[in-house]
Amino acid sequence: MRSPAAAIAWEFRQRHRWGLIVLAGYLVVLAALKLIDPGWTFNMDSGERFGVVVMGPLTTTFLYVLTVFSFGLSSDVAGRPSMYPARLFTLPVSTTALTGWPMLYGGVAMAILWLATRFLAVWPSGFDIPVIWPALTAVTLLAWTQALMWVPYGVRGLRVILAVLWLGTIDSIVLLALQYHASELVMIAIVAPQIPLACVAARFAVARARRGDVPDWRALFARSVRTAAVPAKRRAEFASPASAQAWFEWRRHGWTLPGWTAILLPFELALLRAAGSSEALVFLILLGVLITPPFMAAFTAAAVARSNPSVSDSYGLAPFIATRPLTSATLIAAKLKAMIWSTIASWALVLVAIPIGLRWSGTWPVFTEKMRQSAEFMGALRTVVLVLLILALCIAATWKQLVQGLFIGLTGRERLIKGTVLFAVTVFSVLGPLGQWIYDNAGVQRVIWDALPLILAVLVGAKMLAATWVAARLWRSRVVSDRTLVAGAAGWCGAVLALYGVLAWFLSTPFFPRYVLMLLAILFVPLARLSAAPLALAWNRHR
Amino acid sequence: MSEAVIDVAELTRRFGATTALAKVSVSLPRGAVYGLVGANGAGKTTLIKHILGLLRAESGSVRVFGLDPVADPVGVLSRIGYLSEENDLPGWMRVDELVRYTRAFYPAWDDTYAEELRRTFALDPAAKITTLSKGQKARLGLLIALAYRPELLVLDEPSSGLDPIVRRDILGAVIRTIAEEGRTVLFSSHLLDEVEQVADHVTMISHGRIVLSAPLAAIRESHRVDGHVPSLEEIFVAHVGASASEPDS
Repeated sequence: MRSPAAAIAWEFRQRHRWGLIVLAGYLVVLAALKLIDPGWTFNMDSGERFGVVVMGPLTTTFLYVLTVFSFGLSSDVAGRPSMYPARLFTLPVSTTALTGWPMLYGGVAMAILWLATRFLAVWPSGFDIPVIWPALTAVTLLAWTQALMWVPYGVRGLRVILAVLWLGTIDSIVLLALQYHASELVMIAIVAPQIPLACVAARFAVARARRGDVPDWRALFARSVRTAAVPAKRRAEFASPASAQAWFEWRRHGWTLPGWTAILLPFELALLRAAGSSEALVFLILLGVLITPPFMAAFTAAAVARSNPSVSDSYGLAPFIATRPLTSATLIAAKLKAMIWSTIASWALVLVAIPIGLRWSGTWPVFTEKMRQSAEFMGALRTVVLVLLILALCIAATWKQLVQGLFIGLTGRERLIKGTVLFAVTVFSVLGPLGQWIYDNAGVQRVIWDALPLILAVLVGAKMLAATWVAARLWRSRVVSDRTLVAGAAGWCGAVLALYGVLAWFLSTPFFPRYVLMLLAILFVPLARLSAAPLALAWNRHR
Repeated sequence: MSEAVIDVAELTRRFGATTALAKVSVSLPRGAVYGLVGANGAGKTTLIKHILGLLRAESGSVRVFGLDPVADPVGVLSRIGYLSEENDLPGWMRVDELVRYTRAFYPAWDDTYAEELRRTFALDPAAKITTLSKGQKARLGLLIALAYRPELLVLDEPSSGLDPIVRRDILGAVIRTIAEEGRTVLFSSHLLDEVEQVADHVTMISHGRIVLSAPLAAIRESHRVDGHVPSLEEIFVAHVGASASEPDS
């Protein structure tokens, strides 16, 4: 490498090459499939199909590229200091070069991403999709994200709030322009001038960060901080080491999910204003609100499952945690408990915000009318149970999302963790087209419906085999006590039977044989992956 | 000397093609200060990680207080005070929060002693750990390693990169610890003058092998030449020599 530009490019390429290879592979495979089968299977004339096959993977990749080129994986996004890696500040290059090269590489990557998608994935659909302005919009969003991530802030958390507001505003302007059928030239005029503005802002941000100029506005909140400090001094001792560790996990990760939920809820519920008396829209928005905690939990889980939260590129367990005089099972139990609190806090927000949002938007009568109709149709008790069941499943799904990845993240094995992420991304990328193919093919749907019990039985068999293997390892390694193993198994059986009971009572229809409901209950209640978490931690802790 | 606090027998550890520890055997009886010296990458931290149970013995055995630190982490770690070179205390905690959190793990935690140490080290209880200097963090790490009067104090390169005042505090802590009967200190360092000041027994490690392990006085005596008693540094250079600078782990 003979220049700083080449060195910076090498770092991006080296660290993220596998992600970029998977993306390129997906686009090439998609294009190849269309060439092989130019008929109905993979054409893009349906909006839904286009959304599933192209927009889903494109959005995921867009967020990935956004994170990579803004150095969003390198440090704490809510922290006050700039997220630009401080180690680069000592390089013998100008601040303009430090700012410019990552922005240039990111911009080019974004443009290539869009152009490749446009020509490889969209072609040969009948859609008339513009070429230039979407690429410019992607580059603009990246440039502003870089600027916002690289600015040092005076207060913790301000970066997240400003990023959501500012990027949301840009998105809204673009969507508004589209709503009014703005021409390509107008769209370019709206988007393009923002790129140099973002570059100037980013240059300013990196210059401040490079000279160590981190503003400190905490004094403005000194009064509230002092007030908060008083009860802390008076706090009683922890009842046990386990409760101290649960407090540690709660303070480390507990607020993240409620925080994200609190940020997103007002925006989602504000949409109720636009829904008016449209029952379909109101319930669509409420559905969006209900899936917000489990959806955000999937992202929060990545941080919860990290072995060493204080070092961004380290996978091993931090010695501070590894040397706690606790068993690995107790360390895991603390995480699980903290995530229960986190789930409860998030859902408390949702359950308080929904009635307020419905009242404030004037859509409360739409909601109550629908509930009244449901009560008339299926009876009041069944309606109440249905609502409670949906809530319980959403809450359980949120917690499950938070903890089911622990068994991978806590292994602390870089290749295993990155390989799993790569596998998951690949599976999700394949699931989109596959789901669309099934949706479009009634014959395939019939075959799947007929084979559903067999498919479920195979999945249950795989789950029980994995659980048996994990239980045997737990028993042999003495990572958990016999009593905990038996209690855990009994608890799991109880949860499965309870879920089965509710499902059997609620879905008493010939369409769902009882054994199918039992298989569904077995599949839903977590077992193997959750039980493997103490093993993963022990494997990491005692290398 | 009484029973062995640490008993390592024929311990071998490889990381890929590199042998970090080769058939290391060490037995540390209770109630003395043991200096573990060696060049960077000699295997000191790898040995300490085995003692703490952070590494599993591939071959050979490790016993601390007669227990396997991997099989019984609670039984071993609850009796050890550990100060790591990495000093990875959670930056988001305040000093008083860290003290409150840590005391929950150790029934023998001594509030009076902890407060005395806090005052001695001039640590503000309301200060966030992330705002502390490297020296202050080392002092805080020392506070939480000492305040429950552990039976075994393990210090892994505690003085690395610290100013002389903090180093003096650390040495003072070692001296205070050994002043209390029956307690043991394992002190790893490549700063030989520090080890020389406090250690009763020195173990030299190079390329994963123990090259010398004996009481300091005996080492000096055995290296006396024409009435000149060499320093530990001179002895170290004589045994380990130029090869010490070649990293092997």
